[in-house]
Amino acid sequence: MISERLKKIICNELNLGVELVEMDENTEANEVPGWDSLNHANIIVAIEKDYGVRFKGLEILKCKNIGDLQKLVDSKTTGQK
Amino acid sequence: MFDLDFQKISSLLSFSPNDPLMFGSGLFLFLFFFLLLFYRLFANSKNARILLLIVFSLYFYYKASGLFFLLLILNAAANFQFGKWMGDATEQSKKRMILVLSLIFNLGILGYFKYTNFFVEIVGNIQSGSFDPVDIILPIGISFYTFKSLSYVIDIYLEMMKPTKSFRDFSLFVFFFPNILAGPIDRASKFLPQVQQDYNITRRDIAMGLMLIMMGLVKKIMIADYIGLNFVDRVFEVPLRFTGVENLLAVYGYTLQLYADFSGYSDIAIGIALLLGFKLMENFNYPFKAKSIADFWRRWHISLSSWLLDYVFRPLQINFRNWRVAGNIASLIITFTLIGLWHGANWAFIVWGLLHGVYMSIGLLTRKSKNNIFNKLKLADTKLLGFGQIFITFNLVAFSFLFFRADSFETALNILNQMFFFFKPEVFSQFIAGYTPTFILIAFGFLFHFLPGSLLDKSVSVLEGMPLVVQALILAVVIWSVVQVQYADLQPFIYFQF
Repeated sequence: MISERLKKIICNELNLGVELVEMDENTEANEVPGWDSLNHANIIVAIEKDYGVRFKGLEILKCKNIGDLQKLVDSKTTGQK
Repeated sequence: MFDLDFQKISSLLSFSPNDPLMFGSGLFLFLFFFLLLFYRLFANSKNARILLLIVFSLYFYYKASGLFFLLLILNAAANFQFGKWMGDATEQSKKRMILVLSLIFNLGILGYFKYTNFFVEIVGNIQSGSFDPVDIILPIGISFYTFKSLSYVIDIYLEMMKPTKSFRDFSLFVFFFPNILAGPIDRASKFLPQVQQDYNITRRDIAMGLMLIMMGLVKKIMIADYIGLNFVDRVFEVPLRFTGVENLLAVYGYTLQLYADFSGYSDIAIGIALLLGFKLMENFNYPFKAKSIADFWRRWHISLSSWLLDYVFRPLQINFRNWRVAGNIASLIITFTLIGLWHGANWAFIVWGLLHGVYMSIGLLTRKSKNNIFNKLKLADTKLLGFGQIFITFNLVAFSFLFFRADSFETALNILNQMFFFFKPEVFSQFIAGYTPTFILIAFGFLFHFLPGSLLDKSVSVLEGMPLVVQALILAVVIWSVVQVQYADLQPFIYFQF
């Protein structure tokens, strides 16, 4: 499952209405309108800021889809709770 | 008499420098016909089929580069091993070490052959103002197959794929003759699964393969070679002898020539692979229809641009992400300078790449304000805006290729000088009269390019519905007509030098 929080951060960064965008684990970046290679880094920075975490470069590069990104966020935040 | 013939045949079939087995040459078509025949005979025996392809591919590479085919085998063996070690490694530090080793190995060999003289020259100029070039012959295709193999090791590192257990399959990926000399730079993750598939091609694949081969021959021989030899080369040799309008047409002509040459080559490579049951990566997608430079790079030499996007730009961008826009710009400039440098150790290529990095950066910086202006003027998504964007993008691209083609900065400056200070538009009608076939071919080339892409699908469907005999007849007619127009000997593909 993709959390509402993650979806909201992504949509905010891309100026998209949350209700207009479908996202599941298998959605890839290029399937989300406006998510291109140039603003990819901005989205990652926005996620890091919102959750107060820091990813390693390799961890981000290994993400194939939004599901992987959610897992990465979860792995960083479970320890915090 | 038999001895004499035998000698002739053996010299025809053995390695001779600067005479690779070019797609489109009679010898290639002859050998490929027999390859296809045996390939179809062995259709049900996977081992025999793969072995046949490996042997033919090695021969094809030997014919183009002689003993350097040993280097190719070394490349395959080493990268197969790197992939295996990477797959076996459990600790991240060890994986990283294997990645570094493979980068040193692959880029070291590429660098030695491609860039030694460039660095010797820089060092020599700093120290004494002169340098003695080292005598190094560039193994043909090395930039392409090095990147192909590297993608395998990096993809395993990034956990995008698992290493293959079969050295035979991996060798075929590296040696595969359709894309060994000038790409497309395929990815192992897409190619390797195809090796294991049965040879089962549809009528559609055959029609598409034939269509691509015919289109490639027309693009290469009828358009690229003709306008290159008859017009572009002459202007670029002594631009001062021509007016500005002719220089401008030569720059446009070269832009078309390079596209027709390289995409023609790619079409033939993809078509040949398709007849053998392999789907290679797309390399061009109507690049002059691009509405921005970023769009252009999603359509031009896609297999190289996506390689650099995945393995250079993304890692850089992620590392520089806290610099925000500056990080993106730094990553763009570095990536595009490397795209330039990949083409060769030559300042002109570096300037060409850098120019594209600057274009992309300006595009990024002005993206928001441009969109705001278009929305305010109610121009967004209009045909007029689209046309304007295509026109501007094409001219920016053509301007960059001026540096790509010119032998020296002086030549490039002379061409610009003629365009700005000696334009003489009235010469245009004389140009049409004097260079009628060239003009027609340039016009035809661009027109062909701007036709809707669906037309290709429709023509393939028509071809698909025809009996095999008619298909073969059409192929023969196309080859025959291409040969009629052929102005001189088949010219080497431009991208063979990279």
